[in-house]
Amino acid sequence: MSILKMTCKDVYPLISEEMDHSLSFSRRVRLKMHLAVCNLCQVYSRQLQMLRNLARNLGKENSQAIEKKTLSPDTKEKIQKYIKGKI
Amino acid sequence: MSEETLDPEKWVENYADMLYRYTLVRVKDPDAADELVQATLFAALKSQHTFAGKSTEKTWLFGILKHKTMDHFRSTKKNINVDITDTDADRIQFDTTGHMTPSPNNWNVDPEKAIENKELAQVLAKCMNGLSEKFHRLFVLKEIEGLSSEEICKEFNVKPTNLWVMLHRARNQLKLCMEANWLTKE
Repeated sequence: MSILKMTCKDVYPLISEEMDHSLSFSRRVRLKMHLAVCNLCQVYSRQLQMLRNLARNLGKENSQAIEKKTLSPDTKEKIQKYIKGKI
Repeated sequence: MSEETLDPEKWVENYADMLYRYTLVRVKDPDAADELVQATLFAALKSQHTFAGKSTEKTWLFGILKHKTMDHFRSTKKNINVDITDTDADRIQFDTTGHMTPSPNNWNVDPEKAIENKELAQVLAKCMNGLSEKFHRLFVLKEIEGLSSEEICKEFNVKPTNLWVMLHRARNQLKLCMEANWLTKE
């Protein structure tokens, strides 16, 4: 297949794959050539990168994203009682 | 610097919700997250003597939780490989000229600033809940825990090509969900 004739559909799985391992030289070249001329795939690539950055942030100890979720009062009471009984 | 001490009677008040949220981001099932927090605090109580006072109480408790969470992942590993020939599972659509449709966009945010956007993170948390157990697990291990592909494949007995395909599908599903839930908010 000619590099110039490749469509997004052919190339775009490589965008995700490159985030998980290093591509072979020929596949990397194919991806870079396509990205250089394809605005849509550039945007898609940025989206996946945003997902990665957001996920890392979401996983931090002090993440505020799900601050409304709390441990159930029953469980809290159970743990508190257990601790009180042991010290 | 004064040495850190433990105050177990304040653990629930000070850390329970924080530990729970941290777990809930990683473990889809709220009951499992609930149990992990309990197990963490019980284990902490038993192993107080191992606390050397070099880290903060909070860091120490999170350390125990992190171990418990990884143990949980390991203990629930089933056959995680999927049929990668099932192309229907890829939900991104293309038009006849081979272009993505609808066109991807920047989600109305500056990609550089997206990471600070709390609402966007909330949408991601919600969208992650929509992933299957399997995809959720892999996405967490790769993108939240930051494990390498090699580590995941070895630890969870997944073939590398299978892992890449599954992560690709998980990301696509999240991307579409983000677009559906974020952009329609305007």
